[in-house]
Amino acid sequence: MQSANMLLKKIVRNSVLPFAAQHGMKKDLFPLSRTLSLSLCRKQDNSCTPSEKLDLDAWKKVMKSGLQEEVSETVSEPKELSSLAAARETLEMWRLAGRSVPEKMSEEQLKAFMECPSKSAKKKYLRFLYLKELYKKNDKRKMEEKRERKLEAQEQTSKTEEISKSPFVCLWASTMDKAYNWRAAQSMIFGQPLVFDMSFENEMSVREVANTVKQLVLSEGCNRRSVDPFHIHFCNFNDDSLYHKEFLKHYREAWGKLLITVTDQCYTEVFPKDKLIYLTADSPKVMKTFDHDKIYIVGSMVDKSIKTGVSLARAKRLGLETAALPLEKYLLWNTGAKNLTLDQMMRILLTLKDTADWKKALEFVPKRKYCGFVNKPVSELKKTLDLINTLKLGKRQQEVQKEFAKNYSKK
Amino acid sequence: LQPPEKPLQDEEWNRLRENFRLPELFEEVMLNSMIKCNSHVDVAKSLLTHMAKRNGDVAYNMLVKYLTLCVQQGQVSEIRDVYDIMKVRFKILEIGAYSLLIKGLTNSDQWRMALTILEEAKKTMIPSRTSYESCIKAANRHQEMKLAFELYHEMLAKNVVPTLDVLQSFFDFSTGMKGAELQKELFGILLYLRENQIYPHKTFMRSIKLWFESIPGGNWRGHLTNIKDSGQCPVCNHQLEDSNLSEEEYNNLSERIIRDVIHGTDTFRKTTPQEFEAFQTFVESRLPFDIVIDGLNVSHIKPRKMQCENLFDAINCLAKENVRLLVLGRKHMLINSSNWKREIMKEMQNKADFFFADNISEDDAFLLYATLRSGKHCKFVTRDFLRDHKACLSDSLTRHLFRKWQRGHQIVLKAMFFSVFSQQPAFRYDCVVQTTGDTWHIPYKDVFEEKYSYRVPRKWLCVQQK
Repeated sequence: MQSANMLLKKIVRNSVLPFAAQHGMKKDLFPLSRTLSLSLCRKQDNSCTPSEKLDLDAWKKVMKSGLQEEVSETVSEPKELSSLAAARETLEMWRLAGRSVPEKMSEEQLKAFMECPSKSAKKKYLRFLYLKELYKKNDKRKMEEKRERKLEAQEQTSKTEEISKSPFVCLWASTMDKAYNWRAAQSMIFGQPLVFDMSFENEMSVREVANTVKQLVLSEGCNRRSVDPFHIHFCNFNDDSLYHKEFLKHYREAWGKLLITVTDQCYTEVFPKDKLIYLTADSPKVMKTFDHDKIYIVGSMVDKSIKTGVSLARAKRLGLETAALPLEKYLLWNTGAKNLTLDQMMRILLTLKDTADWKKALEFVPKRKYCGFVNKPVSELKKTLDLINTLKLGKRQQEVQKEFAKNYSKK
Repeated sequence: LQPPEKPLQDEEWNRLRENFRLPELFEEVMLNSMIKCNSHVDVAKSLLTHMAKRNGDVAYNMLVKYLTLCVQQGQVSEIRDVYDIMKVRFKILEIGAYSLLIKGLTNSDQWRMALTILEEAKKTMIPSRTSYESCIKAANRHQEMKLAFELYHEMLAKNVVPTLDVLQSFFDFSTGMKGAELQKELFGILLYLRENQIYPHKTFMRSIKLWFESIPGGNWRGHLTNIKDSGQCPVCNHQLEDSNLSEEEYNNLSERIIRDVIHGTDTFRKTTPQEFEAFQTFVESRLPFDIVIDGLNVSHIKPRKMQCENLFDAINCLAKENVRLLVLGRKHMLINSSNWKREIMKEMQNKADFFFADNISEDDAFLLYATLRSGKHCKFVTRDFLRDHKACLSDSLTRHLFRKWQRGHQIVLKAMFFSVFSQQPAFRYDCVVQTTGDTWHIPYKDVFEEKYSYRVPRKWLCVQQK
């Protein structure tokens, strides 16, 4: 029966008849064959069970019994799929094979997927989407759980009705917002400027730009909430840039109301050159103190592909002074790159401005990157670092020494 | 989880499943361990039957795992059955299943079916190189050389890099066969090795030798040998190609170094335009140099000695009669310090030309430029492998050129005891597969995996036609 069915399928596929005729033919032929084959299989299944002997190929029959139904479906579809549909199909198969592939993909994502230049790029992109989907799902689940708990709690409180009296109307969030905005507005008149250089779009991939904007949003948030905010400047900012698009995604209509200065001018046009200091990890000069009269520039760049010296090149081109954070002077560096995220930079600078305390400011450097603060002579620290590394990490002694020599060669 | 020895009944599977920590993953884990332990196919079959009865279906990933087991044990009829089921069940398969099917079928007498599967796989994605590999090997095994070469060229056209194994199989299965066409194709493979600077390993080299010697009426004889430092083959006295680049290659390379390495995306990243210009006029006014020295690199050779002393020793060691030296350094070397004594610096400046770059500039880029500008005879001295500069070059062809040039022009200084330097001289001859028509010289590696990519083999296969 099956072979007969296959034969039919082949005839249908190979026929030169126009599609409509094919369609008609199928209707006539297949329902009949399907019912026949199904009944056949059912009989076989029944014949299996009474006997005690194990039928090892039973699964094949089951698999094949189901497929007659699908045969008719596959034939009814046009044979040539569009490339998008074909990609979707492949992804579905990958998902079935147990790879990290998201369940749902938008047309846009599918196109981005197809534009990936290599197999590994495709894999990476899919994994990224898959994880994103997973996190979203988990968040949603947690939200629902929370809502349920809240409802339960409400039911309980409604039973034990009790109104606490307070002189204030409960409007915390909006009052706080007003207070913050007031401060930010003040900083726009009297505050110390802090410049973000937005000229790195060409150096970054789309995802890096998205990450940059995320970090900038975070930095703006913590600046607004600080006691004495900076006056933030976004310089070299073009309205048709990817940055702008990403900002609109995050802020929506609030983008126009932000208490910051956004300009397409370069910082050298806005401020006197001798007051500018470009902060970059590649700088040979190390920052000693935070200067309240200077204007610090931070490059808005997330650099995943290790492009050293890009921001230093900007400063060199414009002949600006540069500086790097004194990370080695205060921290016993362990692993990781010395470039920090923009929001970490912002927190460090805010703390420096308020307290001038390096130790307090450098608390915002991620803990995984350093072993501790430098408070003893370097030779003693070296011993402890060695001990820590040999005990904990099992790193080779020599490597550690080399690392140490690199970091502390100048002292 | 230990897979059972014999096929089990449904109840027995149920019991096992209930005892397992995560019942929903039971089947997957079980099949995985079956693959690991290479269980008998019947055991897996009974599990699939159990699954089919439970759910009325067997999931795709389970089918793939079963397929893996079948391929592992060469169960061709089972592979065909699974393929039939998959084909009707799913419109297309994914690359993993295709690879498995191809691998499984190419080792059987149904290898032609693997070719149709390969065609199918091509519709959705570029097949993996192992898929091509098994198809080509199968075609070779069945003496379908033409088909094998078609697949090989298709593979190259799609930028899939063939393994040495595939290339070797061409030689293995062509042994003793006649045909000008075939010979041309195999020479083509040798030239592929040349162009990509690939060195065959010992067993591959033997296959090549055997093939050459088996060409009917070819009168080829192969010998294993070491090439002298002068570049002469001791067997046939043939002089190997020298490591110099052609005029065109040379110009191409120096242009690309300036464009990609020195300027890159932004000239300010490695130097400044003013500084580069100053350097250019400096070099042009004093051309040509014979040896260009990376001053800072050389000064760190012996860590116990003062840095300027190291440099001084090196310059003395390299400065022979009428050799023009250029030393590249940074401005901080001019400031009198514990490591850089002014008197010694002055003395050195009498013996060699010095150029001091800014402290934050990269002197390596200048090193490359000065050497290239001085001409083909000029060598440079540094222990650096210059890998980061090679990486700046955008295409692999120029990178190969760079490697070749580097091999021919880099002198490496090594510190020995008693304050003597030993020099590792630059290669005089080019270390690639090469031919003159009636001779072939093929460098080969002793071991399959060479640890260091910058090391070139010293052993050669010399094949000559009598």
